[in-house]
Amino acid sequence: MEATLDSLALGFSVAFRPDVLFYAFLGCLVGTLVGVLPGIGPLAGISILLPVTFGLDATKAIVMLAGIYYGSQYGGSTTSILMRIPGEASSVMTCVDGYAMAKRGRAGAALTIAAVGSFFAGTMGVVLLTVVAPPIAKFALAFGPPEYTALLVLGLLFLAYMSSTGLPRTLLMAAVGLLLGCIGIDVMTGHFRYSFDIKELGDGIGIVPVAVGLFGLGEILSTPSKTVTEKVVPPRLAELLPNRTEWRQSAMPIARGSVLGFLVGIVPGSAHIIASFLSYAVEKRISKTPEEFGKGAVAGVAGPESANNSASTGAFVPMLALGLPTGPVTAVLMAALLIHGVPPGPMLVNEHPQVFWGFIASMYVGNLMLLALNLPLVGVFVTVLRIPYAYLYPLIIMFCIIGVYEVNHSIVDVWIMLIMGVVGYLLRKFDFDPAPLVLGLVIAPIFELSLRQSLIMSNGNWLIFVERPIAQALLVICVLLLGLSALSLLLKRRDWRAKLAQAEAGDVTARD
Amino acid sequence: MQMRRDHVAGAVMLLAGALVLAASTDLPFGTLASPGAGLLPTVVIVVMMAFAVLLMLGAGASPRLGAIDWADAGHALRVLGVTAAAVALYIPLGFVASISLLLFVVTFVVERKPLLSALAFSGGATLLAYLVFGTLLNAPLPRGVWH
Repeated sequence: MEATLDSLALGFSVAFRPDVLFYAFLGCLVGTLVGVLPGIGPLAGISILLPVTFGLDATKAIVMLAGIYYGSQYGGSTTSILMRIPGEASSVMTCVDGYAMAKRGRAGAALTIAAVGSFFAGTMGVVLLTVVAPPIAKFALAFGPPEYTALLVLGLLFLAYMSSTGLPRTLLMAAVGLLLGCIGIDVMTGHFRYSFDIKELGDGIGIVPVAVGLFGLGEILSTPSKTVTEKVVPPRLAELLPNRTEWRQSAMPIARGSVLGFLVGIVPGSAHIIASFLSYAVEKRISKTPEEFGKGAVAGVAGPESANNSASTGAFVPMLALGLPTGPVTAVLMAALLIHGVPPGPMLVNEHPQVFWGFIASMYVGNLMLLALNLPLVGVFVTVLRIPYAYLYPLIIMFCIIGVYEVNHSIVDVWIMLIMGVVGYLLRKFDFDPAPLVLGLVIAPIFELSLRQSLIMSNGNWLIFVERPIAQALLVICVLLLGLSALSLLLKRRDWRAKLAQAEAGDVTARD
Repeated sequence: MQMRRDHVAGAVMLLAGALVLAASTDLPFGTLASPGAGLLPTVVIVVMMAFAVLLMLGAGASPRLGAIDWADAGHALRVLGVTAAAVALYIPLGFVASISLLLFVVTFVVERKPLLSALAFSGGATLLAYLVFGTLLNAPLPRGVWH
């Protein structure tokens, strides 16, 4: 414990440097805007701004990009409460009771409860991350190529199991991502794969053009400007304070949401989205007045908003400790660290303590900044919402083009982004989630290397994956997950994932 | 049999898998003890095609193909066309000309905003972006014919 506190002190010495503070603030500010604006999620925001970090060192880059991620969780509540439009997918549940509170004239109280809940949960999540990540990283030092192969397979299966679009669709998308990740020179033999004499493809397809295309441009193509409304009335500053009863009603849901969110966040999948749905269900189930849910229940805002923030912090545990991205956002953040020459994983704590602890300490500071940003400045963010979408989306297209081009100064990358935009549009039409595709693309090189190293180690014997205890345990969990999925498919059971899909599709009343 | 959404999705994925498999014939598979560059792609394509078949088998429960709402396709095509033109002109004309044209055409032609608003918006936004990225962040933006 003493060593952890010493390391945390080192982290704060990094996080309190004026330049690091500035980038943390910038990340939080952009993240809040990303969360506020419908149509741009954290993934698109991080992807578009990734090239901007190339001139920075790894610490500032990851501090800023992570700020965008957890900042977007704060910002997402503003549009949900004031307009009943979830600025971010994880704010869908906040729409229900947050908007109902706003209709009763309690918009200010709902915004404050969401912000305070997010602050408490975010800080609690960072405390848990501080305690949990280093021991896991130490344990992961025992991992060899077979364990990593099994871990990556488990990550994909977990993602597929948790997905609301179903196991075959998710794994199909992950396979497409893995296949895209095979493009370029094979690092072990030097063979060119699927590069079709285009020299720019020799280095493979970058994650930035794919992510920006699928989530930035794809989202714009799917959102005709006439469907986006701008009518909103911001609450006055004096109306922001909740009354005593509202504080009391929100305390326990915030605490429960924080713990639940962190636990869900560690598991691969769209953790922050699942956590908010789960928290809403839990709060409604244990409430003495469940009939109030949907009509402006304080717990219906406090629980989900805390859970999605805590989950976004929890998702950093496998990324930092194991080098395993559990979702597309952490995949892009991991790519950002790799671009800066800092491989995440068990060695990160020892080899780059300034980055690891500086990043963790910056999240404590970032959560404070977000609390200060979100309450007094709610009127400013609401003003941003008044920019007509017809002017907003051309700007996003411009940022997409600049962002992607600046990565390698390659126009081929911009064309790839454009193609991926079309792919993203079509995938949405056919009800595919593009997130596993990005995840597959990111893990493809690690997966291929560990798979081939394992086979070389064992002289071609597949049994290496079941003879080593850790790999064996991980594969047993894989089999269990496949069994559970097959069972639910056979029983045609309408479980929580089907309800999640329905609610994500826009029917926010399908929640119990 | 009525054509369903997942019939088409599965068939497209199956076809894509078959095409990539055909393009993979020159990649050495190697042996299990010494895997070649073709091992992972082959395994992934097989998995992908298997899931595509699975998707088609369960397609009966998916919505009818005609139920897909294509009402936004016209807008998407217009935006895509203008963006593609801007990308094609990005290097030859440079950042300022291609991006201001993109912004102007999208706001004035696609979104039918007033001419003066569209002109002011496209000019102002391009200038601001140039100042932020080109000057402040020192990002080498393409200058095209003005080089």
